[in-house]
Amino acid sequence: MIRFDNVTKTYKGTVAALSDISIEIAKGDFVFLVGPSGSGKTTFLRLLLREELPDTGQIWVAGRDIGALTQGRVPYLRRNLGCVFQDFRLLPNKTVAENVAFVLEVIGRSRNVVRSQVSQVLDLVGLGQKAGRLPGELSGGEQQRVAIARAFVNRPLVLLADEPTGNLDPATSQGIMNLLDRINRTGTTIVMATHDVGIVDTMRRRVIELEHGHLVRDQARGVYGVNDQGASTTRGIPAVALRPIGESADDDVEFEQAAQVRGRRGQR
Amino acid sequence: MAISFEYVAKETASNLWRNRVMAIAAILTVAVSLSLVGTALLLRQAVSRQIGQWSNNVSLQIFLQPDITKPQLQAVNQRIDQLKGSFIRRCTYLDHQQSYQQMRQLFAGEPSVLGVLTPATTPPVFSCQLVNPNEAKTVADSFDSNVPGIYKATFPGQSVKILQQVTNVLQLILLVIAIVLLVSSLVLILNAIRMAIFARRREVSVMKLVGATNWFIRVPFMLEGLVQGLLGGVVAVGIVALSNIGVNSLITHYDVKVLSSSSLPTGQLVLTEVLVLIVGAFIGMVGSSLAVRQFLEV
Repeated sequence: MIRFDNVTKTYKGTVAALSDISIEIAKGDFVFLVGPSGSGKTTFLRLLLREELPDTGQIWVAGRDIGALTQGRVPYLRRNLGCVFQDFRLLPNKTVAENVAFVLEVIGRSRNVVRSQVSQVLDLVGLGQKAGRLPGELSGGEQQRVAIARAFVNRPLVLLADEPTGNLDPATSQGIMNLLDRINRTGTTIVMATHDVGIVDTMRRRVIELEHGHLVRDQARGVYGVNDQGASTTRGIPAVALRPIGESADDDVEFEQAAQVRGRRGQR
Repeated sequence: MAISFEYVAKETASNLWRNRVMAIAAILTVAVSLSLVGTALLLRQAVSRQIGQWSNNVSLQIFLQPDITKPQLQAVNQRIDQLKGSFIRRCTYLDHQQSYQQMRQLFAGEPSVLGVLTPATTPPVFSCQLVNPNEAKTVADSFDSNVPGIYKATFPGQSVKILQQVTNVLQLILLVIAIVLLVSSLVLILNAIRMAIFARRREVSVMKLVGATNWFIRVPFMLEGLVQGLLGGVVAVGIVALSNIGVNSLITHYDVKVLSSSSLPTGQLVLTEVLVLIVGAFIGMVGSSLAVRQFLEV
């Protein structure tokens, strides 16, 4: 679904935001992108959206080299990528339903499609009753649900989430994660950048860790701050504190298996 | 992808409404500048038409002595016939009575002149059209008062030239002001669209994110500029039409016969108005395109 081939991106006058990243994310994967601020997570997502182009290397989304797309084709790439942000980015003067419908309207869907899809996706995120409210009248968690509904209403192949729980309390965050998990189970690939230790540790999904633009870890069922050798990669937080009690360090085996599965998928 | 007309119309209308103060400023500036353009064009046409009329009708007037004798008249007539074709196109002879009637019309507002005029004292006159009005002086010289029976030959050359120069200068001033105003209205439209883009930056960023095509994002803004330019044009059309009617009714009211042919035929007026509208639309289009190109990073 997503493949980075030796991708390097440098911003003017700084160290590399991403350096020589090669990675493959299969269809249906749920991937946590972790790492300290400035490690390149956001650059990773921006490159996927083709808001920027890599200096070297290629990025493939759904079998297409997105660096080779003409400017006019970029919107069609983005229709396959849903986006959720820490700050929700809802339109404050539109109701919940209008915010979701807006997506379909601007890509030219017919009014019937818009109406049925919007109510369907609002029911999915549990906001069917609040379709007529303005974002300002909703709680943070509800606003993020609207944002997820908006990102998902067009049934994208990939959902990109940049710290979607960054502004939410743990209980609300859990609700959001359950929702993302449900969406993932429909076959939608999810790439989520996060700092949220608790979430990564409870979900036990694939973890890709970046540091200073380098890929330092790719673990099939990872936790937040522990690499394959069991050493903490997150400065200042001891690994022991992060590892859920009762979990053994058998990640290596699982990683191997997952890598094989991904390899097979890639060949197909 | 087809852009739905309904969406574009809705977006453009709501943009204009949200940004109405800027929009009105832009529209009024366009209107004022286009009114000047339209007026300058009409003035030009009216003056050239009037001058054409004068120079066609009375390139040369040969006033005869009131007491001219028959042989003298025939001699003058022969002289005219000799120049016919090469210099003179056609001459009309007005005898005492006809000349008197014409004078009464020309000096309708001046009873002091009319008081002294009688048919007997009014000189008969040959009103001639020249092949080339520029040769008026040469032709007039061959009909000077040395020829028996001729009182005086006059041509309107001098006054027409002055009139032409004055209107040329006036026109130039009007056009310069109009161009300055047109540029400023273009900048105003550009700025209005820039504000509209800024006011809608959230929508625009969401649209970009979810894959709206570039044209889908651009078109409402460009249309907004076009509408502003066009509305300015419409107001200007009204102003130009009104001023045209105003000038015409002034001419009719004061019965200014010499200017009677200044009023333009409807065809010419309509053509000018259409031009004004096109310039308005063009200004709006260019202004908004520049704004979209510069400030809408899609």
